Amino acid sequence: MVLSSEVRLIDLIHTAAEKVANLAGFDDDAALNIGIAVREGAINAIVHGNGQDSKLEVCVMLTADDEGFSAHITDEGAGFDPDATPDPTEGDGLLMASGRGLLLMRAFVDEVVYSRREKRGMEVTMTKRRTEETKE
Amino acid sequence: MKVGVRNIGHVAVVDLAGKITIGEGDVVLREKVNELFDSGQQNVLLNLEKVSYMDSAGIGELVACYKRAKEKGGSVKLLNPSGKVYDLLQLTKLEEVFETYKDEKEALVSY
Repeated sequence: MVLSSEVRLIDLIHTAAEKVANLAGFDDDAALNIGIAVREGAINAIVHGNGQDSKLEVCVMLTADDEGFSAHITDEGAGFDPDATPDPTEGDGLLMASGRGLLLMRAFVDEVVYSRREKRGMEVTMTKRRTEETKE
Repeated sequence: MKVGVRNIGHVAVVDLAGKITIGEGDVVLREKVNELFDSGQQNVLLNLEKVSYMDSAGIGELVACYKRAKEKGGSVKLLNPSGKVYDLLQLTKLEEVFETYKDEKEALVSY
């Protein structure tokens, strides 16, 4: 889906991700974790990437297959270095008002890969593989 | 997100229900806690029993409430975080920052 960069659309992306995770065979609790991870990717794209500029697009592709679930999100913003963000679980980072999105993403899916797009913006791919424990 | 306040002694118990997420629950939480601080209340107990989950913005707002309370010489404590909310507090290590209680009476006498 292609959406304008509005915060009010983040719930829609989250809900869609949970539904697709269910289709991929994850139970409701695992699907909520996946939904939260995708929500954080969407927040990064809409708020931090595109600066909530409704003229800029966010593209979200959600996939359910035999392997599990994957999400691919792109934005058109200036981009950021995911490895340069401070650790929010150590020292002064504990009391930061923001900066926990990547932590949540990495906790709730198996793989999070950020890269810069060829022109402008960032893309992130999140993957959650099915295991016996996460099957319905 | 729904919010209600019960004043018990010198503590404001803020009952939250729903999700604390960007653009919705985080704003409701900020406005309610600011209103309490502005009215002179310093002791706030956030009842999270009926909060289903939070995102990074909601977690950030909890931290902001904690910091504002400290600045004003007061405190924000947590009551009964639900399963997913407790998981998130553990994951972010904020369980080490917030005083968290399972029993409301125990929480109230801690102020």
